Amino acid sequence: MATTTTGRRTPLPLLAAGALVALLALVPLGYVASYVVAIGPVDLWHLLARPRIAELLRNTVSLAAACMSATAVLGVALAVLVERTDLPGRRLWHGLMVAPLAVPAFVNGYAWVSLDRSVHGFAGAFGVVTLSYYPLVYLPVVAMLRRLDPALEESAWSLGHSRARTFRTVVLPQLRPAVLGGALLVGLHLLAEFGALSLLRFPTFTTAIYDQYGSTFNGAAATAMAGVLVLLCLVLLLAELRLRGDRRYARLGRGAARGAVPLPLGTWRWPLLGVAGAVVALAVGVPAFSLGRWLVVGTSTEFPLDELGAALAATVVLALAGAVVTTLAAVPVVWLAVRHRGLASTVIERSTYVANALPGIVVGLALVVASLRLVPLVYQTAGLLVAAYAILFLPRAVVTVRAGLEQAPVVLDDVAQSLGLGPLATARRVTLPLIAPSLGAGAALVFLAISTELTATLMLSPIGTRTLATEFWSASSELRYGAAAPYALLLVLVSIPATVLLMRMDTPSTERLPA
Amino acid sequence: MTTSPRRAAARVSVTLAAALLSASALSGCGVFGSPDLVIYNAQHEQLLDELVPLFEEESGLEVELRSGKDLEMANQIVEEGQDSPADVFLTENSPAMSIVDNAGLFAELPETATATIPEQYVPSDRSWTGFLARSTVAMYNTDSMTEADMPASILDFADPEWKGRVSFSPTGADFQAIVSAVLALEGEDATLAWLEGLKDNGVIVQNNLVVMQSVNSGEVDAGIAYSYYWYRDRAENGNDSDSSDLYFFGNQDPGAFLSVSGAGILASSEHAAAAEEFITWLTGTEAQQAMAESYALEYPLNPDANLNPEVKPFDELEPPQVDVASLNGPQVTDLMTAAGLL
Amino acid sequence: MSSLNLTGVTKSFPATTSGQAITRAVDDVTLHVPHGSFTTVLGPSGCGKTTLLRLIAGFLVPESGTIAFGDEVVCGDGVRPVAPQTRRVGYVPQEGALFPHLDVAANISFGLSRDARTHDRAGDRVAEMLDLVELPAEFRNRRPDELSGGQQQRVALARSLAPQPAVVLLDEPFSSLDAGLRGSTARAVRRALEATNTTAVLVTHDQNEALSLADQVAVMRGGRLVQSAPPSEVYLSPTDPQVAEFVGRAVVLPGVATGAHATCALGEVVLTESAAGPVSLMIRPEQVYVDLAHAEGVRGTVEEVSYYGHDCAVQVRLDDDTAVLSRMSGVLHPAPGDTVHLRVTGLVRAYRPTDAP
Repeated sequence: MATTTTGRRTPLPLLAAGALVALLALVPLGYVASYVVAIGPVDLWHLLARPRIAELLRNTVSLAAACMSATAVLGVALAVLVERTDLPGRRLWHGLMVAPLAVPAFVNGYAWVSLDRSVHGFAGAFGVVTLSYYPLVYLPVVAMLRRLDPALEESAWSLGHSRARTFRTVVLPQLRPAVLGGALLVGLHLLAEFGALSLLRFPTFTTAIYDQYGSTFNGAAATAMAGVLVLLCLVLLLAELRLRGDRRYARLGRGAARGAVPLPLGTWRWPLLGVAGAVVALAVGVPAFSLGRWLVVGTSTEFPLDELGAALAATVVLALAGAVVTTLAAVPVVWLAVRHRGLASTVIERSTYVANALPGIVVGLALVVASLRLVPLVYQTAGLLVAAYAILFLPRAVVTVRAGLEQAPVVLDDVAQSLGLGPLATARRVTLPLIAPSLGAGAALVFLAISTELTATLMLSPIGTRTLATEFWSASSELRYGAAAPYALLLVLVSIPATVLLMRMDTPSTERLPA
Repeated sequence: MTTSPRRAAARVSVTLAAALLSASALSGCGVFGSPDLVIYNAQHEQLLDELVPLFEEESGLEVELRSGKDLEMANQIVEEGQDSPADVFLTENSPAMSIVDNAGLFAELPETATATIPEQYVPSDRSWTGFLARSTVAMYNTDSMTEADMPASILDFADPEWKGRVSFSPTGADFQAIVSAVLALEGEDATLAWLEGLKDNGVIVQNNLVVMQSVNSGEVDAGIAYSYYWYRDRAENGNDSDSSDLYFFGNQDPGAFLSVSGAGILASSEHAAAAEEFITWLTGTEAQQAMAESYALEYPLNPDANLNPEVKPFDELEPPQVDVASLNGPQVTDLMTAAGLL
Repeated sequence: MSSLNLTGVTKSFPATTSGQAITRAVDDVTLHVPHGSFTTVLGPSGCGKTTLLRLIAGFLVPESGTIAFGDEVVCGDGVRPVAPQTRRVGYVPQEGALFPHLDVAANISFGLSRDARTHDRAGDRVAEMLDLVELPAEFRNRRPDELSGGQQQRVALARSLAPQPAVVLLDEPFSSLDAGLRGSTARAVRRALEATNTTAVLVTHDQNEALSLADQVAVMRGGRLVQSAPPSEVYLSPTDPQVAEFVGRAVVLPGVATGAHATCALGEVVLTESAAGPVSLMIRPEQVYVDLAHAEGVRGTVEEVSYYGHDCAVQVRLDDDTAVLSRMSGVLHPAPGDTVHLRVTGLVRAYRPTDAP
């Protein structure tokens, strides 16, 4: 009651900065929309009503549906097994179940393909992507299981329901938002996935757009496909947004102080231990083995320390610049959203949120064209690539910085003001020190995400600039598996901190994961 | 000029982003000195990494090499227009040269620069010159096939009997150069029909290395690629070529098409003399012989250079007569899009 | 230090997105807080009392009216509103709102000048302030999250007092504390304010807090100030029956006044002021004496007894079916079903019936 923002005027420079960030975030969507309009309905029809589009749509949708279902089943089963049973070594299993997140999907694809060339097509893509992404369901389900009040289950139990029936009628319905949210996240990642699917030779819209780009640069066909892809993504994003609204009501109480009584597995213990072991072996063991093998092969032939160092340096410089720019861009957006609620703030924040639906391929394509049409000077500069990173990872920075600013309630500003501080001194002595940790965390997350970004980097990195991801990509797509291995290893190493951070985060969200 | 508000807004946002990020641009792309010659290279980077030091040593000039891919670099040069820092453009295949040529960005080469190259590999206006050639071939798996099982023409791969048995990489500039030759030789309808047949029959992979691998492993019986991939693998260790062999269509078949790697000087070049010196050197006997002896195993176009005798001799290839300057990239990608390959 | 004077202060908020009309959060409020005194602003939530506080602090600017600290007008009267940071008000919000990134000493010295903060004397000031709010000196190095809610509030008060403000404003400072802590913290705060002779305004919806702490209680309702008077006057002679019921339990009975007396279901009562004709009579439950021993007064039957230990509330149904609440000592009390006799002690406030709710 005392901290309403009513009566505070929104400073114009802040609004302008926020609007500018929102505008940047909307460039890709605006590009796709305006280009599609420019193509005109007749030509658009010709570009879309052709067998290739039907084939890509079939591939994309069937793979998404299959992977979302499979990750949902696998994620829930593993979460229940680890969280709610007396499986030996549950803590260790939890770490292992999340570990696949540290292997970017395209590195996982490389690991499988280089080990066994028969892993390709729908089956290969389905298998590899499912193994890469099931933690996106597993993590939120685990978090939800930990939050559920065991009293509910105990009530059902005491009312005469068996444990199995209690699970089905009491626990499962409560897991629904977590499962759906996780599966939708898998869907969004899958729609954006380029590297893994390209290596596994399963064409989807994303890989097809890249092929078109490589052949026709900025042709209408690529944009028409991008339009379809963005629509698919927006459908998932809207579903996620709606679910998020529901979820707020679904969450009751502040969670359980005591855990649920673990289900004794009895004789099932050993077979289920085997299942968990098999999942880990496939999801972590195989990539680790493959990578290790190629590392030995690669290092025995040559170990290009210079090139490795140069790629690492370029990656670090780009990721640093991207992290700083993205985090700074998030500040006005968050400030408006938290401190100056209103129509303008909402529009600005939503604009940055839309980037969650934009695959790297679309952002890359959009910035290539937008820069060439509007400001050719920036084309082929690192600045443009950094702008792409900012668009892609702004949602992640916004969420993190927002959490920080919410920890700095406006009443502290009031207090500081009453103690004689002007607005600038208040920002310096109160607000900034308070949000500094979240700025740091946001920047770190963005840094890690950029380090393993492949698609937009491939399209936008200035000629001559090589990052870990592009060097890995050029080696692995030329089948120089040994040469790709050191880059793959570095990519995994930079993904580990992000994975640990995600493991600690409780709630699922649409922020992008590594790759 | 009227500007729509949306466009103006987009302009502002991108400009701002650019201004905001110019600092990082400096660190990101590396601060270059002022070289004597800037080469945009879309030929294999490894090859130019071997060649350029030889030229630098001989000429005393400092060369900056920026490597990329055919279409990407061609389009970038077009976009950069008069401001392009490029002095020389090298490609793997000639359609990319045509893109720059059609934009009128090449300067006419001096006669000395093309003197050693047979005239059919130089456009009549000397806007650029070929300096290497690569021969189209079919590879076949020697466990499941014999040479006799191979078709007479590359066009036959569109026949139903090849369903699921032939691999190719439609997204690469190599294959698209082959298609441009088919288009030049057979016309639009036949080319579209051929592409549609290939789409039905073919196993699509991401590049020619995977074509070779898929043939050698027996995943498919045959594949369409250039010859040098196979020769290089044989020269290296044969891991991906030991169970396969090359099949040359010859006989002026489109499948015997020789694709030409081009070299040209940008009209906007501020180092025209150095650029001319480089191209003259590139087509001269010393550089051509160096390329012939390199790992590349592509065909040098200077007849005085002698290639590894393991490689099928240049004069036995019987390629079709195609005007290198006429190969049309955009029409090829349109046809491939229509056939559902893109 | 100075007095605080509000004259005709009015503040409206624009219509919200939900389509409500413009609301007058603070409507023509005139209030005088004497130098060094303690005024509590009492009212239900949404009555505008927090807005009033924010107007005094300068976080909001009124549409009309003047606010003056002593003779210095800080807004209104054609004076350009003085910014909050130069008004020299101490502000203690709900839940203290200590700066979480600073320790206790840094919080307390936050409002001091840079010189004072860096100088050795700043340490003295912190110690002095800690002593003032009755916290041990070693608390200076603690982080806010290592303090209990009551301790946080004391530090918040110390922080607001350290720069010697003209006025201290406290916004429901004890509402988040549990009952046991609330009383002791409130008394410590009062002592600290008294010791420094600080003019203070405290906003609350808790009538016990309002009555027990203040020199003056200002009751707000619907944005208007309906009564401001010493606590006992507000309690025993509220402006109208609604105020009566807001500041405590009240038995409101219809009666007929004849000069200094009136008759009602509880018999004849003595009025605070003379009246004539039909009136509403406001009787506090503790004025209703329950006679267990004698049959003197109006007879009734005990319906319900709520026993609190120190006292108890007895619900009695009179023979004429009127329900009356009495509050009496818990030492000796009746049981439900007992027949008792009731009579009224002390003076009774009469309202014209139109004032009744």
